[in-house]
Amino acid sequence: MRTLKDALSFGDLPASERIGFILFIILCLVFPWIAKGFAQAVMIQFLIFCLYGLGWNLIGGYGGQVALGQAKNVGMSAYTVAVLMVWWDIPFWVSTPLGVIVATVESFILGYFLFRLRGHYFAIATIAVSLVWQQLFINWDWIGGARGVELPLKETPNFIYMQFDSPIYYHYFAFVLVMGAILFMNWFRKSRLGYQLRAITSGEDVAESLGINAHWVKVKAYCITGVFAGMGGAFYAVYYSYIDPFSVMHLELSIMIALMTMIGGAGSMWGPIIGAMILIPLDRYLGAWLGGRGIIGVDFMIYALMVMIISAYEPKGIWGIIEKARRKR
Amino acid sequence: MEMLLPAIISGLLMGMIFALVALGLAIIFGVMNIVNFAHGEFLMVGMYTAFLTATILSIDPLLTLPIAAIVGLLLGIASYYLLVRHLLKGPMLAQLLGTFGLMIFLRYLAMCIFGPDYETLEHGWLIRESIKLGPVVLSPPRLGTAVLSVIAFGIICWMMDYTRLGKALKATALDVEAAGYMGIDTERMRGLAWGLGGATVGIAGALLTNFYYVFPTVGLLFVMIAFATVALGGFGSIKGAFVAGLIMGLIIDLGGTYIGPQYKFALIYLTFFLVVVIRPKGLFGW
Repeated sequence: MRTLKDALSFGDLPASERIGFILFIILCLVFPWIAKGFAQAVMIQFLIFCLYGLGWNLIGGYGGQVALGQAKNVGMSAYTVAVLMVWWDIPFWVSTPLGVIVATVESFILGYFLFRLRGHYFAIATIAVSLVWQQLFINWDWIGGARGVELPLKETPNFIYMQFDSPIYYHYFAFVLVMGAILFMNWFRKSRLGYQLRAITSGEDVAESLGINAHWVKVKAYCITGVFAGMGGAFYAVYYSYIDPFSVMHLELSIMIALMTMIGGAGSMWGPIIGAMILIPLDRYLGAWLGGRGIIGVDFMIYALMVMIISAYEPKGIWGIIEKARRKR
Repeated sequence: MEMLLPAIISGLLMGMIFALVALGLAIIFGVMNIVNFAHGEFLMVGMYTAFLTATILSIDPLLTLPIAAIVGLLLGIASYYLLVRHLLKGPMLAQLLGTFGLMIFLRYLAMCIFGPDYETLEHGWLIRESIKLGPVVLSPPRLGTAVLSVIAFGIICWMMDYTRLGKALKATALDVEAAGYMGIDTERMRGLAWGLGGATVGIAGALLTNFYYVFPTVGLLFVMIAFATVALGGFGSIKGAFVAGLIMGLIIDLGGTYIGPQYKFALIYLTFFLVVVIRPKGLFGW
């Protein structure tokens, strides 16, 4: 009961944030009715990235651990859903929990060993592990290897396989996932785990001397991050109905998630959403515009510049700037 | 058995270049406890510098070594004063993602200018037919570049041990505050460590151009090898980087021969993973 109340009450936030949140919900609800085609696809992308970002914020923002391997969890879950459907015709609603479990168990095992490391070592180790996974998936013929997996299409739109004839359904499904994630984060920041994790970020040795088992708390947070990535991955698989090791396992995806959260404001409730709101439309529209002109790479250069400027001058991201402005008033 | 000896020799030769690539990373990490994610991209810049000067001026790729070294030096110093100096004030997340941003910036800048194509040099004093010695086939570019990287490594080692500059760098690495009291300009030393890191990796890039493809994303592969090398040798240890470089070369070539070439890079990452989990200090760490 207490948990539910914590998750649903936003009373401790300032009125401006609550208004912003309501505007966000209204925008998401009416968006499919006012925008079609490319804009709608961008919006769904935005929602998926919100989900990834909200999850990464847990370990990367609140936990301060630079984990750069989200893509492998996304990929594992997406592959579980796709492979189960291709080989045994198992519906989305059965394979998704399995996919999320695979992603979470992987996070648990990995976190258990990797959280013996701190800072730079941890970050590099997560990159190393995700590159190993990608290599293995590229060379693993049973799941399609480098060619990837294509999900078979049913003749009629089908709820149990999550195959629809209009993107509106995907939009609302993604929106429900994001809302769930936001409510979870709202609970999390007031929870025991949330306070423990923030205590570890601000001083690991001090936190341990207060009786917090830092290793265990970090492993738990990393598992939750894995759950979020797993849900995003399962959704990705049915939404695109095609996956390969370059779209879901790629290091660039992990980097994008981290950059996005960092730009929006790591360690704040709305940071990942703000980051996704800026980066994803920028990425898709700029990418499409530049790609049409045969220019590649400028979009990534722009994010890189943003990240360099933000990490050098305002490590708390755009949310940090907003908070500073508010405090001055 | 007849595959073993060639694999060992080619592994050791490649390992000498890995050692030179890792050297810059080790210096930077040793002096200021920050990991340069853009290190592989510095290598890529060195490779393109060598490739372009060699093709445009049509000179031997070996003559481009000083140019690549100077470009690397300037790149390193510029990154320190424009970016890294500011990053050091922030939390670890900002430090990591800051150099990460630099890496992405340089990589996509190269992608934007040169396109994603693979390029190779076709002419050069070292680029010639392989020599057969019994069961061993020696490729002259690999042999020559390996010898040159050992020489470059030796010069840096000598500089660190016997010159005033090297001693000042080492003092800064051991204790910044105490080094400051001794009258060492630690800020300059840090900038210099970045310059030195850039210069060594620039040389390594120019050497690699003799036999390796040049393409914008070449950095990721080499930076991961360099991370693994530095972790194995002990972060900040220069002699460790050399021994670990040789071991890495052996792992890649023996793994490529006996397990399968598609897994050889997975093996590198796996080695790194095992090293950091089992012995985070590395072989020679302190």
